Amino acid sequence: MTKLVQLERRSRADVGYESEIERGMDFSAVFAETIGQNPDFALEVPEWEGPPADLREAAWRALHEVADPEFPISLPDLGLVYEVEAVDTTVRVTITFTASACPCVEFIKWDIRERLLEEPSIEEVVIEVTWDPPWTTSRITERGRQALRKAGVSI
Amino acid sequence: MSKTRTDVFKSPDALPEPVREALAAMLLSLADNKRVLGMRYGEWILGAPTLEAGIACSAMAQDEWGHARILYATLKDFEFEPTVLEHERPADEYLNSELLDDPATEWPDLLALNLLLDSALSVQVEAMTESSYEPILFKTRKLLEEERFHFEHGRGWAMRLGDMGAGRAALEAAFRKAIGPCLRWFGRPDSGFGRQLVDAGVVNADADELRRRWLERITPVLAEAGLELPETEGKAALEWEGWNADRRRAAEGALDEETLARVRGDRNRSMLMD
Repeated sequence: MTKLVQLERRSRADVGYESEIERGMDFSAVFAETIGQNPDFALEVPEWEGPPADLREAAWRALHEVADPEFPISLPDLGLVYEVEAVDTTVRVTITFTASACPCVEFIKWDIRERLLEEPSIEEVVIEVTWDPPWTTSRITERGRQALRKAGVSI
Repeated sequence: MSKTRTDVFKSPDALPEPVREALAAMLLSLADNKRVLGMRYGEWILGAPTLEAGIACSAMAQDEWGHARILYATLKDFEFEPTVLEHERPADEYLNSELLDDPATEWPDLLALNLLLDSALSVQVEAMTESSYEPILFKTRKLLEEERFHFEHGRGWAMRLGDMGAGRAALEAAFRKAIGPCLRWFGRPDSGFGRQLVDAGVVNADADELRRRWLERITPVLAEAGLELPETEGKAALEWEGWNADRRRAAEGALDEETLARVRGDRNRSMLMD
């Protein structure tokens, strides 16, 4: 069973992030006008049974509501999330990107951090990037493949 | 010959001094070459012989810049400041091959960079896929995975031009110029990036072995394309006069100022995002 969740682009920069271009810019407004409010790009997420067993699982579920910036598919379904660990109130997420020169690296990191910090039990988010094993399309889940097909992406 | 690896180095601090220096020099050379090569690919996004080739150049340019960024970032652990490496060095501190000093003016020149120089860089990266220097292990396979397509692109075009009289002659001329600098880029037989790198298990081949691997990769393509290039037969002809071991190239020359400004991103520096 799945349910549809309307995408909300999350905007604010992560803590300590200080660039000329980001200051004063509202990314959520930009995205709302593009894919954020388009019903065709609703994100399909699993319907979980019962509450999450622990913090790690809560984080894992939450990550299913973080979409790739280019496609209506969650980061876990795209196969970008390699590891989720939780210690006390800190969650460490190890991710990769589809391409070494992925232009969306910062957006994806912001979105992960913003969504995870919405969980009341998570106080700190650490994001690690790895390139090994290299991402390939074989890492996309079946749910992800269906979502991509629906969006007109051949896979 | 199998070798038992006793040491795994988790950070540059764990490496003996000469090994650390040689490794940093190699990573910087790879990063600089990829950064400038990306620029050269990028210059062909418009104006390539076919629309598809222009799009391929765009993709390859993006890959090279991604690789360069990853490699510059690895140098942070060596106490380099990546921002300085990427944006603040003068032309004569760039370790790019002499083949990249000037734009590739004709398509066969770009193909020489694509098939010959790019694959030389890949041969060097490949020599680190089982490196004792652990931090590099998390990057090499991704780089090589993306490089497979660059090689296929160069190979496809070599075959295509090899079938045409004029194309073949132009390609032979361009390749003839590029082969020497590529062979030499691996370094002198007695040094390369330092015998120490091999002994420490950071790379698995010395300069001569890397040359052999590179030739093994490109020679079948040249044969398939019907190109006659005696320069590839053995390394006896390698000329080391005027060799600059630090820059791994003939000593003279550097990037022109305009390319340098673009490579460093001078004009849009204030808008940098990371």
